[in-house]
Amino acid sequence: MTTILTGGVGKTEVADAVRRLAPPGVEVAVSNDMDAVALLRAGRADYFLGTCQTGAGASLGVLVGLMGAATCHTFGRSVPSGEEINTLLDQGKRVFGFAVDQVDVITPALVGAITARA
Amino acid sequence: MSSTALAASTGLDFSLAQQLAVIALCALTAFLAHLALAVFNDGVRPFLLDFVQGRTTRSATTAVSFGLSAGFIFGLGAPMALASGVLNPWLLFLPTDILGLLAPKKWLAPLLGGAWGGVVVFGLRGANNLAHDLPVDFLTALQQMATPILFLFTLFPVLAITKQFGKLLGGLAGVVELALVVLTMKVWPDVFAGAPAMAVGVLLLIGFAVARDVRQRRAAERAVAGMVSPTGEEAPVVTAGRPSEDVDPMASLFGASAARLRRHLPLFMVLGAGICLLSQLHVFGGGEATSFLVAKGQYAEAAQVDLYRSLGFIPLIATTALASGAYGIVGFTLVYPIGYLLPSPWPALVCGALVFAAEVLALSWIGKALGRLPSVRDSSEHLRGAIGDTLHLAILFGSMLAAHAMGGGLGILIASGLYLLNEATGRVVVRMAAAPAAVVVTGIVLNVFYWLGLFTPIKT
Repeated sequence: MTTILTGGVGKTEVADAVRRLAPPGVEVAVSNDMDAVALLRAGRADYFLGTCQTGAGASLGVLVGLMGAATCHTFGRSVPSGEEINTLLDQGKRVFGFAVDQVDVITPALVGAITARA
Repeated sequence: MSSTALAASTGLDFSLAQQLAVIALCALTAFLAHLALAVFNDGVRPFLLDFVQGRTTRSATTAVSFGLSAGFIFGLGAPMALASGVLNPWLLFLPTDILGLLAPKKWLAPLLGGAWGGVVVFGLRGANNLAHDLPVDFLTALQQMATPILFLFTLFPVLAITKQFGKLLGGLAGVVELALVVLTMKVWPDVFAGAPAMAVGVLLLIGFAVARDVRQRRAAERAVAGMVSPTGEEAPVVTAGRPSEDVDPMASLFGASAARLRRHLPLFMVLGAGICLLSQLHVFGGGEATSFLVAKGQYAEAAQVDLYRSLGFIPLIATTALASGAYGIVGFTLVYPIGYLLPSPWPALVCGALVFAAEVLALSWIGKALGRLPSVRDSSEHLRGAIGDTLHLAILFGSMLAAHAMGGGLGILIASGLYLLNEATGRVVVRMAAAPAAVVVTGIVLNVFYWLGLFTPIKT
């Protein structure tokens, strides 16, 4: 079972969006940045999807500091393609930040790629 | 509707002292951004850790800053300043973030920042006068944004309560706020109608959050005592507190960042003095609603609105500062309300410096306290989400009113058409900034149509 945590301004919206997709082998839980760090480090969760106005500040702030920039990526205002996401996942990115007004377009792309690896 | 219908002035007329204050402050903020000691954009702050530790380049960090800020400068900062006649942090400090990071040399950063300050205080007035002289005056039309922003902003605590604590408590808070708005309009017509309602709404939210934290801690304690297993309400994965083995990395990173900021305490005190002074000069509004309240001289209300707004941002600014070692250019935004209320510039300089000193010194402690208060941090996220939602609707609606005021049906068609086009293309422009940006473009298009003889300006 792959566990996705959500945090930031749109954490419930993202979690709802993931649940609507009902990805097989993937579960989602509403969390927050500080708790997510503890869970990711302990191996009790696999991915973190954070949202805020810019897609970088509140969604990634604490995680970039504690997990290291190598595991974090922000989409900023861009909508990534499936290949881009796969490349990022290959690079070991586990923490993703995006803008809260793009939850509906980015969540399915991300969850699709994660599900394919679950 | 008397006192809160429209913003009074679109002045942007600055005294020499005010011009110098803006230019000096922009120079200082660019200098601090250059040193990666503080940036305004909360999204840029996390990236400064890698920059400070030498894992990324100045140009890459500048590119991040530009990418995350440009939409807010042109779509939100500039139209808000032109509509209200009052400066705002997006217009002043997002560009100084970029310019400070961009400057390859230490001495160049304050020069570039100061130059931007000059562009704002001199250029904005020119643009303002020019736009008012156009056949289709889109700046006067933009003042239509004031009413929806002021009134919808009142509602943000209700939205936050609904999202965090459910429909029942949210509905209750909504009824209480509406009753207070009606009561205020009836009994105290001179007070901004949303002010008492917003105060009660925010107090309710904080009360609910603290109560939930206390309840969850007691439940956790009982569970430890082996009585009952704790049942999480919204089932967050970790409810309260966190395992002791994870305290270490967070504490060491947070401690190092706090120490870095403390080492530069005098510089931050000067910054705090400057921000507080700017608020005291009443040429600056810290938030969207505040700009219009400051423009109308309702400083007590402006202070109140920015105080509540700060509750949504303090945890965010504290955690990003502790994680990155770079502070917020405006600190916890607490110097805004203090500045609006103070009677003269000198006490503002002193208070601003002292408040920033207290904030920087308290950062470690605030970080620890926030770790123990998950519901309060949750509330702050819901508050920011709710501020975003209310403002999105208010700015969209106000922009359509503005489009209607300047071009009737044709204005609405062009402005909302541009807005919808942005939606359809995956929101290239930040949603909140899309509508005012569309109005400005519509104003230009309508003027072109006028010159082509295709459009007759609407007389009001």
